[in-house]
Amino acid sequence: MRKFVALALIQLGFLAACGGGGGYGGGGGTPPPPAMQVIATPGPPNVETMTVDSGPAGVNAVNTAYISVKVCVPGTSTCKTIDHIEVDTGSIGLRIMSSVLTTAPAITLPAETDGTNPLAECLQFADGTSWGSLAMADIQLPVSGETAANVNVQVIGDPLYPTVPTDCTGIPENTVAAFGANGILGVGPFIQDCGSACVAAVTPLTVYYSCPSPSTCAAANASLLEQVPNPVTLFGTDHNGVIVELPAVGSAGSTTTSGSLVFGIGTRTNNGLGAATVLPEDPSTGWISGTYKSTVYTNSYLDSGSNGNFFTDSSLTPCTSNPNFYCPASTMSETATLRGANGATLAADFSVANADTLFSITSYTAFSNLGGTNSNAMGFDLGLPFFYGHNVFTAIENAGTPGGIGPYFAY
Amino acid sequence: MKLIRPVVCSLVVAVTVAAPAFAALGGDATSVQADLVKMKGALRTTSSAAFTVHEITTSYGTVVREYLTPGDKVFAVSWRGPVIPDLRQMLGTYYGQYEQAASTPHVGGHRHLAIEQPGLVVQSSGRMRAFSGRAWAPDLLPQNFSANDIN
Repeated sequence: MRKFVALALIQLGFLAACGGGGGYGGGGGTPPPPAMQVIATPGPPNVETMTVDSGPAGVNAVNTAYISVKVCVPGTSTCKTIDHIEVDTGSIGLRIMSSVLTTAPAITLPAETDGTNPLAECLQFADGTSWGSLAMADIQLPVSGETAANVNVQVIGDPLYPTVPTDCTGIPENTVAAFGANGILGVGPFIQDCGSACVAAVTPLTVYYSCPSPSTCAAANASLLEQVPNPVTLFGTDHNGVIVELPAVGSAGSTTTSGSLVFGIGTRTNNGLGAATVLPEDPSTGWISGTYKSTVYTNSYLDSGSNGNFFTDSSLTPCTSNPNFYCPASTMSETATLRGANGATLAADFSVANADTLFSITSYTAFSNLGGTNSNAMGFDLGLPFFYGHNVFTAIENAGTPGGIGPYFAY
Repeated sequence: MKLIRPVVCSLVVAVTVAAPAFAALGGDATSVQADLVKMKGALRTTSSAAFTVHEITTSYGTVVREYLTPGDKVFAVSWRGPVIPDLRQMLGTYYGQYEQAASTPHVGGHRHLAIEQPGLVVQSSGRMRAFSGRAWAPDLLPQNFSANDIN
């Protein structure tokens, strides 16, 4: 059935290409949402409101999903609610830009120490590095009411730790503008950000740092308990994974859209797998496999923190103004077949429109058909565009669910 | 695009930890042994007439490759693994140029970065625990060498 649908879409895409049709969508249009997408209603006990918009002032984000997060000094009612925290299924841990904590009403979170010295972190992203101290917070999610106490979090760009160690390399992303959000909630498939690699390395990785003084931070090993955890794993219940639920977006894009971030998989009536297919991931990398136009991509993943679908296709023309994105003359309908570590397969249908055309309406922030290049020749990255119209499950490593033990993706 | 296998491996020269020296992009092989020492890695070297690849597997699982011309000049580097290696060390004198170019706003989000400048190309992608990237100096590429072979 799925295969039949995919073939039909390919034909539509071909017709659209032949017709040279202008305008949005052409024959390719937006893949129809699954007939039965049901988006859970935000509210207690496990559903958070999630919004796609342009982000904090000056950021001009596209395809970035945000929630609000309340952080408190542990054990107290001294709290602050912070908006525009990016929801990222491709990273782990809560990280907040220092500037939003120090803006009145300021909140000062206590430092996390290794027993002697305060800890700091050099957190790597593919496009840059965020440096900042580690702190402790009670986390409350304002809509669902989910809570986690005494959580290690990173304070990015902490002015008390202005000296970035020389071995913490990469482009600094230590401000709201450079980072693109007031913070990030990493709810990916792992329990900690670094995991065992940072626990007992002969030469400590340049990830965790112990700081006798703010200017003398040195790379240090960090136990699993000292590391920044996936906050979901600390919830009382609903701690085995998340579902990102966003409605379909039309082919021209949308000013904004909103949906739900649901906690737990199969723990309640509103977070069951239903008819979703489970695709187990490689437990160390989080990768699944994918086949696209007869090429196998062993480094495939679904990721709410990617603002496009990123893959290699030499038949798609890169844009001149934004060469990282594709600018086909007419919208192309594409399909990939994803494959889990257990051999289960699942069709992934998506379309690729002309990114320059999409971006020409500058007030639009949600695009279901934004595609771009991937410098990893083995990489197939289905980002937020693919999430529109699908409820995408991310199960956490070692966690039991009705669909098996994580880590896995499902939709 | 098809996956293109490297055309090296015509001659396996050495598999040893007592290594020849390493260098950053644009450097020469006799300048430093810093990479290997710093990364506490195991080294594998493969050579062909056109170029040599020094591959370091670090103790933390990231595989770093440095591509050298027959004249022992590093014309490309690549990495793949759970942690991005020290880019200051990998890019050498090109680090400043990378820093400047990558600091301008880009639209690819946190998962993808591509910098293309007259003398330097840097590409980086991936997410926590699974990164990959490569950099090369177009001016230094051997004749008939395709950048697709840097992997």
